[in-house]
Amino acid sequence: MSPRPGLRRYYDINGWSFVGPAVALILLFMAYPIVWSLWMSFQQGRGMRLSFAGFGNIIRLTQDPVFQLALGNTVLFFVVQVPIMLTLALFIAVLLDDPHLKFRGLLRTLIFLPCVMSLVVYSVLFKSMFLLDGIVNQTLLALAIVSEPIPWMSDPFWARVLLITAITWRWTGYNMIFYLAALQNIDKSIYEASRIDGVPSYARFFRLTVPMLKPVILFTTVTSTIGTLQLFDEARNIVASDTSAGTAGPGDSVLTLSVYIYNLTFRFMPNFGYAATVSYVIVVLVALLAFVQFYVARERDR
Amino acid sequence: MQSRDRIRLKSALGAAAFGAALFAAGLAQAKTITVWCWDPNFNVAIMKEAGARYTKAHPDVTIEIVDFSKPDVEQKLQAGLASGVAEALPDIVLIEDYGAQKYLQSFPGSFAPLSGTVDYSGFAPYKVELMTLDGEVYGMPFDSGVTGLFYRKDYIEAAGYTAADMQNLTWDKFIEIGKAVEAKTGKKMLGYDTSDAGLTRIIMQSAGQWYFDKEGGLAIEGNAALKAALDVQKKIQEAGIYKPATGWNDWVAKFTSGDVAAVVTGVWITGTIKAQAEQSGKWGVAPIPTVDVPGAVAASNLGGSSWYVLASSDVKDEAIDLLDTVYAKDVDFYQTILQDRGAVGSLLAARTGAAYDTPDAFFGGEKIWQSFSKWLGEIPAVNYGIFTNEVDAAVAVQLPKLGKGESVDAAIEAIAAQAKVQVQ
Repeated sequence: MSPRPGLRRYYDINGWSFVGPAVALILLFMAYPIVWSLWMSFQQGRGMRLSFAGFGNIIRLTQDPVFQLALGNTVLFFVVQVPIMLTLALFIAVLLDDPHLKFRGLLRTLIFLPCVMSLVVYSVLFKSMFLLDGIVNQTLLALAIVSEPIPWMSDPFWARVLLITAITWRWTGYNMIFYLAALQNIDKSIYEASRIDGVPSYARFFRLTVPMLKPVILFTTVTSTIGTLQLFDEARNIVASDTSAGTAGPGDSVLTLSVYIYNLTFRFMPNFGYAATVSYVIVVLVALLAFVQFYVARERDR
Repeated sequence: MQSRDRIRLKSALGAAAFGAALFAAGLAQAKTITVWCWDPNFNVAIMKEAGARYTKAHPDVTIEIVDFSKPDVEQKLQAGLASGVAEALPDIVLIEDYGAQKYLQSFPGSFAPLSGTVDYSGFAPYKVELMTLDGEVYGMPFDSGVTGLFYRKDYIEAAGYTAADMQNLTWDKFIEIGKAVEAKTGKKMLGYDTSDAGLTRIIMQSAGQWYFDKEGGLAIEGNAALKAALDVQKKIQEAGIYKPATGWNDWVAKFTSGDVAAVVTGVWITGTIKAQAEQSGKWGVAPIPTVDVPGAVAASNLGGSSWYVLASSDVKDEAIDLLDTVYAKDVDFYQTILQDRGAVGSLLAARTGAAYDTPDAFFGGEKIWQSFSKWLGEIPAVNYGIFTNEVDAAVAVQLPKLGKGESVDAAIEAIAAQAKVQVQ
């Protein structure tokens, strides 16, 4: 029984007045800035003196060695860090899923705990721990693992290692929770059947667990990639210098695209147009990578 | 901002209770001048002194000083100016001279011109010039960043050198002494942060050049002064006479803790050095080492900053009056901040005061202020342009590579390539 036309309009008005405020706020605080930043990316100028520049900013991207360095660093971080972190998260999740394990709840909480920390707080903690005469170097020296303190902050290679270590510490637990949740949804009888059939445990993991977790692995890969592409707090706080040069790590070795956008906007001669262009590079990258990952992991018809 | 609102709230409550007459009085008492600046031992302490002098004569005004690090002040200011929200900004802000034109040109109308109020003829002309745009002068000239070589006499003597050896140094000799200091005392000569282009700027200006030529165009390739500056730093890194520092606070800790024997920087560091009372008598001051470039002198500048009033301030007149009364007219104020903080002001009349002639016990009774005054007159004038931060970043990318075998010429080429794109 469909409502009479007058009544339907009444429902429509009611419905719209419920969603109206939310839609208006989304338009104002989401859609408008996105469109405006797209418009800004076609402008150039110093500070508030902007003028239309067409594709000038995109041409500048191709000639800018700092942008290319930042892009290279960002790609390096997600190519190296995302696989390390997700593999680690998956293994820990499978280990913690073992019903015979003692203190499972406690261990799960401990591994998830870093995720609760504020990004800036843990960055500052890492910074003080990894100073040249910080606790990490002192420990390594005391255990005779290294003979010289490792220059975490002043060597480009170690600065990158430090950054990857830090993000892995912060986010592994977060991804582990997704895998743990997904593991609960796998029917235990499948494992039982495979055990009876004599399938060894490594094969059970690679042939059963991993394929069944595929949607979740895909999801965590996409979100981790996006997160790494937008990497800012850690790069800005752990190894970035507070001098006027403001390099991110020695020789800009941990300069990410987001830090570069920040520098272009707040540290250098403010160039909002060019900064908007660089931020659209991240948008395009995220879209492309998400598409590639969905394509690679698509369900194939047999 | 919060406390200003709180005071307003208080006065409003007062008005409700005691009537309209008191309401007016309450508003008059609510005049708070908010100041943003950095360095608690220097700018913050000096503004406190200035504020104390001003509020003595104007009890209706309160000065609220917010202490950030310099990059934080600059970035908060830039964000506030870009957002156009006046509530996000202070009434007075300290801006380093390198960046003055950047703000004045990028955010027209955001700063209050002081030309009508302040008599600029009494100040060092170079300070006035860098805050002038289209015929209007916007700031209150404050300190000079004349540089010196501060060194630990005890370490130098242990290495077999005397105070006389520290005069008229070349950088090569400086590095040689550094090696001797390490051999004899186990201490390094310098705290050095390869992500900081400060030493580059000191050496470059001592040889009379900057990243830019007089017209403001890039001058990286063929810049003998920049080449010499990078050359010295390559030698310092290869000789290993430095202790690596990460960031400003860590760099400061290197010499305040007695870990290194020397520091080459602006005179404004004197307050920080003297804050270590137990090191009294152990420090000496000498002219900075020189490079072998025609026209190079043993004097340079690092930093130096000036006060600016925001045009959006609701206590603009009081803020301007505070700066004018204290910084442009009070010669005694300059004597105090010189002795207490080592602030070499740019008000020329202040130089004749007795404080400049006083020996300083912390530095073993040396008349260090006379030395700094003398060096101040020798600083080669250069054009800071508006892109110093950008080129600084390009330089800082190359500095660590110099220590790993990169040639100075290759570094200059890379700096030029990066700067060309950044400077537009």
